[in-house]
Amino acid sequence: LQPGQQQYYGGVQPEPEYINGPQYGQQQQQQMGTLADQFGQMNMGQKGLRLYTTNLLTSPPDPRELHNPPPEIVLPPNSCISPNPSANADPSYQRCTINAIPTSNSLLKKANIPFGLVLTPYRSLKEGDEAVPVVTDTVIARCRRCRTYINPYVQFIDGGNRWRCCMCSLSNEVPQLFDWDQVRNAPGDRWARPELNYGVVEFVAPTEYMARPPQPAVYVFLIDVSHSAIQSGMVATATRTILENLDRLPDEDGRTKVAIIAFDVSLYFFSMPPGTTDSSMLVVSDVEDVFLPKPTDLLVNLAEARASLEALLGRLGDMFKENHIIGSALGPALQAAFQLMSPIGGKIIVLSSSLPSVGAGALKNREDPKILGTTKESGLLQAASPFYKTFAIECSRGQVSVDMFLFSAAYQDVATLACLPHYTAGQTYFYPAFNARTEDARKFAHEFGEVLAQPIMLEAVMRVRASKNLRMSSFHGNFFVRSTDLLAMPAVPQDLSYAIEVQIEDTITAPFVVFQTAVLHTTCYGERRIRVVTTALPTTGNLSEVFASADQVAIATLLANKAVERCITHKLEDSRDALFNKTVEILTAYKASMTAAGAGASAQLAVSENLKMLPVLVLGLLKNVGIRQSSQIPPDLRAYAQALLTSLPAQLLMPYIYPTFYSLHNMSPECGTVGEQGVILPPPLPLSSERLERHGLYLIEDGQTIFLWVGRDAVPQLIADVFNLPNYEVLRGGKTTLPLLENAFSQRVNAIVQKTREMRRGPYWPHLYIVKEDGEPALRLWALSCLIQDRSDVLPSYQQFISQLKDKVNGGNY
Amino acid sequence: MNFEDVEERDGVRLSWNVWPSSRIEATRTVVPISALYTPLKQREDLPPVLYEPVTCKPPCRAVLNPYCQIDIRGKLWICPFCLQRNAFPPHYKDISNTNLPAELLAKYTTIEYTLSRPAQVPPVFLFVVDTCLDEEDLKALRDALVVSLSLLPPYALVGLITYGTMAQVHELGYQDCNKSYVFRGNKEYSAKQIQDMLGLSPQNRAAPRPGQPLPTQAFGAARFLMPVQQCEFQLTGILEGLKRDPWPVANDKRALRSTGVALSVAVGLLETTFPNTGARIMLFAGGPATEGPGLVVGNELKEPIRSHHDIDRDSAKHFKRASKFWEGLAKRASNNGHIVDLFAGCLDQIGLLEMKSLTNSTNGVIVLADSFTTSIFKQSYLRVFNKDADGHLEMGFNATFDVQTTKELKVSGLIGHAISAGKKGGCVGETEIGIGGTSAWKINCVTPRTAAAVYFEVVTPAGQPLQPGSRGLIQFVTHYQHSSGQQRLRVTTIARNFAEAGSPSIPASFDQEASAVLMARIAVFKAEIDDSPDVLRWLDRMLIRLCQKFADYRKEDPQSFRLGDGFSIYPQFMFHLRRSQFLQVFNNSPDETAFYRHVLNEEDVNNSLTMIQPTLMSYTFDTPPVPVLLDSVSIKPDVILLLDTFFHILIFHGETIAAWRKAGYQDQEGYENFAELLAAPVRDAQELLVDRFPIPRYIVCDQGGSQARFLLSKLNPSTTHMSTGMYGTAAGGASGQAIFTDDVSLQVFMEHLKRLAVGAQTN
Ligand SMILES: [Zn+2]
Ligand SMILES: [Zn+2]
Repeated sequence: LQPGQQQYYGGVQPEPEYINGPQYGQQQQQQMGTLADQFGQMNMGQKGLRLYTTNLLTSPPDPRELHNPPPEIVLPPNSCISPNPSANADPSYQRCTINAIPTSNSLLKKANIPFGLVLTPYRSLKEGDEAVPVVTDTVIARCRRCRTYINPYVQFIDGGNRWRCCMCSLSNEVPQLFDWDQVRNAPGDRWARPELNYGVVEFVAPTEYMARPPQPAVYVFLIDVSHSAIQSGMVATATRTILENLDRLPDEDGRTKVAIIAFDVSLYFFSMPPGTTDSSMLVVSDVEDVFLPKPTDLLVNLAEARASLEALLGRLGDMFKENHIIGSALGPALQAAFQLMSPIGGKIIVLSSSLPSVGAGALKNREDPKILGTTKESGLLQAASPFYKTFAIECSRGQVSVDMFLFSAAYQDVATLACLPHYTAGQTYFYPAFNARTEDARKFAHEFGEVLAQPIMLEAVMRVRASKNLRMSSFHGNFFVRSTDLLAMPAVPQDLSYAIEVQIEDTITAPFVVFQTAVLHTTCYGERRIRVVTTALPTTGNLSEVFASADQVAIATLLANKAVERCITHKLEDSRDALFNKTVEILTAYKASMTAAGAGASAQLAVSENLKMLPVLVLGLLKNVGIRQSSQIPPDLRAYAQALLTSLPAQLLMPYIYPTFYSLHNMSPECGTVGEQGVILPPPLPLSSERLERHGLYLIEDGQTIFLWVGRDAVPQLIADVFNLPNYEVLRGGKTTLPLLENAFSQRVNAIVQKTREMRRGPYWPHLYIVKEDGEPALRLWALSCLIQDRSDVLPSYQQFISQLKDKVNGGNY
Repeated sequence: MNFEDVEERDGVRLSWNVWPSSRIEATRTVVPISALYTPLKQREDLPPVLYEPVTCKPPCRAVLNPYCQIDIRGKLWICPFCLQRNAFPPHYKDISNTNLPAELLAKYTTIEYTLSRPAQVPPVFLFVVDTCLDEEDLKALRDALVVSLSLLPPYALVGLITYGTMAQVHELGYQDCNKSYVFRGNKEYSAKQIQDMLGLSPQNRAAPRPGQPLPTQAFGAARFLMPVQQCEFQLTGILEGLKRDPWPVANDKRALRSTGVALSVAVGLLETTFPNTGARIMLFAGGPATEGPGLVVGNELKEPIRSHHDIDRDSAKHFKRASKFWEGLAKRASNNGHIVDLFAGCLDQIGLLEMKSLTNSTNGVIVLADSFTTSIFKQSYLRVFNKDADGHLEMGFNATFDVQTTKELKVSGLIGHAISAGKKGGCVGETEIGIGGTSAWKINCVTPRTAAAVYFEVVTPAGQPLQPGSRGLIQFVTHYQHSSGQQRLRVTTIARNFAEAGSPSIPASFDQEASAVLMARIAVFKAEIDDSPDVLRWLDRMLIRLCQKFADYRKEDPQSFRLGDGFSIYPQFMFHLRRSQFLQVFNNSPDETAFYRHVLNEEDVNNSLTMIQPTLMSYTFDTPPVPVLLDSVSIKPDVILLLDTFFHILIFHGETIAAWRKAGYQDQEGYENFAELLAAPVRDAQELLVDRFPIPRYIVCDQGGSQARFLLSKLNPSTTHMSTGMYGTAAGGASGQAIFTDDVSLQVFMEHLKRLAVGAQTN
């Protein structure tokens, strides 16, 4: 060590108690267990939650708080007929912005907290997660009037012969076979029925729930084979990934069908007659008037055509390797895919490397650096062509969902293209300037593979019911609102989040209310099912309880959705203003009703402890690529960020607006080693560059990207241990794969990176960038933009933001 | 003058071999001066001429020939057409009266030059194949196509388009898998669209990276049209793998056949890639176009395909539109020098009438078979690829046919499978017969069978006949692409004398066979435009006028009427022509009519005469077979008849013969002569089939059998159910068979003719 240099991995320091604390989303199950125990006791104890006020000016954000469970749901005694701790849906499936519902709209107005549900009804299960219990006997008890599914919050009356609906209070007959065990053909135990014990349950639907026999899963791949797609290596990577994942494609029932259509300015269909390894290519260049070149063998049974499909995938890249055609007939390709599959429905997976240029849906390059950062910018975030929405609605009716994988190095109009996944319940994935010779190949292959392997819900409709006087008023997320409150989702991918705003229409007299989300769907193995997610929440006439039960994560999620919508319908700055104003309103309401200061000026900025992170989350939103004020953000990146903001579940959305920041060079020795809960992560740091030391090594990640920040004075030993290089000077910034070296530190850093990539649900595999403190400015700025508590350019630091809020709350007196 | 010797040498038969020396007299001779010329008449004795022809100065450009006056000393020659003096080219400096180039020798009035600049592109064969066929038919067609690949010169370019509900262009050079470009079957594509959709235009292409040349082959025509030797394996594979059109067809529907799109893609592909060079589009259709442009009949089975009556009544709803579409396509193909052949393998019609312009303007072939499994199709198809002694296909491509005349003769037009080349020079006359207004035509396909009828008029100042002893010249110049890739020039120069009005040499020079055929072509040409009754009246009028001019008779005395030998059989030809399927269409389908007329316009004098007046041979015991009258009197119980209509070859067993044959006498000992009698006509029929194209329908029938109607319809009804035994029957006694017809017999026809010719009262 040279004089003045610190040992990079730090000395032995006393360990903070939270060092091995639960990570966000990592230990929900366990948390819920504990919570439920307390909850059981609570039922006996006093009603309500206590409100703790905190001063934002003096209590800085603590990242660990984001990992806390939402405020407890304290239901009145005997609300639930089951002692099961899972009787209320886990918040990872469904959560409300307020866990004690105001009994009137005026009370809600006083709190000024946005009221809504945030749901991920088709959450994926990781290893060790409990599966959703299934009611297999097709006996489905529903309220005659409001069609609510029987759940743990109904009441049995009339000696158990009837049940009273928890939503509308109608007394309903218990179905005849409700107490009959059809498997054993003997009387059954009503109290053991899953729908009376679980907040998340799935019913096997009888034929009344089918408009037609359950459809098979259908995947139609639209692969761009134009010059740029081939040259970037996209086609090779995509076909290899499909090939490698054929076994993972859901096909338990052997009915899954697959088609491949390649396109540039023409469409290339592949006929794969079953039982052969031959395929023939049928070129359709008439893109103005798309048609299928053959009635059969284009959409083939995966199992039957496996041999020819494998042969084709193995050759496809070579077939087009000399392709010099530029341009894209994406719209016609979509129309063709739709024609091919619309009698069945299913999923179109688009892999596109360029701006659609011919046929229906052709787009113009409207990227104009001059209007970035101006009021006209939001125009670029609106769809440039009505085709994509119109076509999406057609798809929705035909039970076709579209996923977009976009790869262009140039402007691709993500904003317009993303409409299609948006309205058809799919998802958009973006790999700007994809280059398979870099780590891009691995990222894309991983994510694409995960998407392929995902089970999907098919031909789904979702409806949320709630107790009397609550009304679903607006809907955010990837679906099409078919009738007032029926959300059409041709194929539901896992781990997508939806937000629904709720209105209180009249005074609620019930002691608790129930929200029930039902998703009628066909599984990808051919069974018609209904997934029912039920959340019961207490009501309260007490404003402090409203504040104390507010769920800041759910609120931020709802605000993200509303903000993006406002960007598109209004202007970016309107959206930012609305976010800021909403925060001011909440804080003003709190100050007015919960602090002594009331309407007067205050030196404090008070909020309840459970909402302490809300301002910093809003700041994170304001600084997110999707929303932030800037004249430097390419519209494609903005549009993609907006697609993420409106679809990521809270577990992924929180880091996306409030990234995670670890110091690695001085982390304690157990960090990066395997503990009881898996790899032990360092404590997250507040997002401020004050924490960056010149000799340090840091990891900053937002769930989509990981930055490994290397201080300019990092010692050669650190560089050698982590990067296998002699010194900082020779280290190169940029996308990389970290070497796994024969030293403990390397292994620990690798373990942390890997854990970061794996710990959340969803298909994302974040890139790892090495960022040198004095390296390429753009990359540095990108990494630093994650440190949202810093001031950057025109955007305030957290301190400035808080003080702006305080000024506003105090009536705009600076 | 022996007309057939002249035909042997120069491939030409003239209506008149001595020409009237004034315009007025030429009109009075009724049958125009005209020639049936076979440009590629096979001549084994022609010397190879491997140098360029010497031609007169522009604009004349007549080719040096034996009728030119030459000045050996002055190294000059005088063009007989324009009378200009031309210097011989330098390399002719050594000519002398004993050392003349071939083209100046009297025996080479027909000569063929092989030009030094070969064709840029080998001949192209583009197959357009209907896949809406049943398995058996499709297999037969596939097999025939595969076999034909081995008959093509290895350097010939081939391509494949298949069609059914849609049309597919197969990319033959593609190695990775079978690849084809698919076109909607129900849409009319412009040439530009076809070019773009096949990727034949270089738009939408990224520049190649430095040091990586763009393989031009990869997007050019070479992907679709490749030398046989390069793609035979691949193409055979594709052909053998051809499946029936996969789109479902309901029971009450016809298969959707997008013949129009398939052919327009074929035409578009060739016109973009190989304009003005030899190319042959061969269409194999198993049914009518039922989809898209050129639709002949809807796909509902309850809608019948149009008949002559429907067309006559103007109730064939697709007819005009379809014909217009096919004419447009034919125009494009023919302008580009390309050939379109139509091979029909269908029990019903395929819409030949609507599509006929394709073959008629490009001189493609029509083969009409009930199915592709028939030998009519198989053998006819393979015969297209007949080869000459040198192993070259007997077909020339993209020909231009020029006619040059001396000034007193002008060209009225041409009737044959050609289009005008728009050459309006001094040779073009005012009267138009056939394709007129030009003295040059494009004939996209020339074979040794191709015979063009060219019509002339005599032009002399009013009232001023030519000097006695004048001679007129006609030069036929045919420039074509030989299948070997050479460009060749066939030149035939003929000279005939003019004679003053009334000279006996004129009637003596009348070629009544040639004249019948030349008049038949005019009649059919008119019939294609006019109503047939008008045409029949015109034919009658012409015949009467001819008789009035050349017969001996006393006015108003029919009994005195005598025609000279040179005219004696001409009225018979006209009689049979009037009754033939060429002019009496209602007994045939429109497709058959189109087919018959097409063939008539292709063939030489002898074949055409067989079509107009079929030949009938009679076989019986103890006498060699004899030609007999095409008359019902020729039917006898103890004879076998062999009828050749060109389109049909029919063996007819008289009642007794049939009974014996059924009893199996031919297989018994002691009845060898009967067996021989049965075998003889079969042998002769085979003989007829040898060089016939297309292969005729072969029918064996018995007296009283249903197939016998083919014979009866051709016979002169001298004994009908109406006849009162007025003529000829007395001699024959009870022989012959009554034919149920209202047609007049030849005898009645002749009586009328005589009366009309002599100006007697008719009743
Ligand atoms: Zn109810
Ligand atoms: Zn001349």
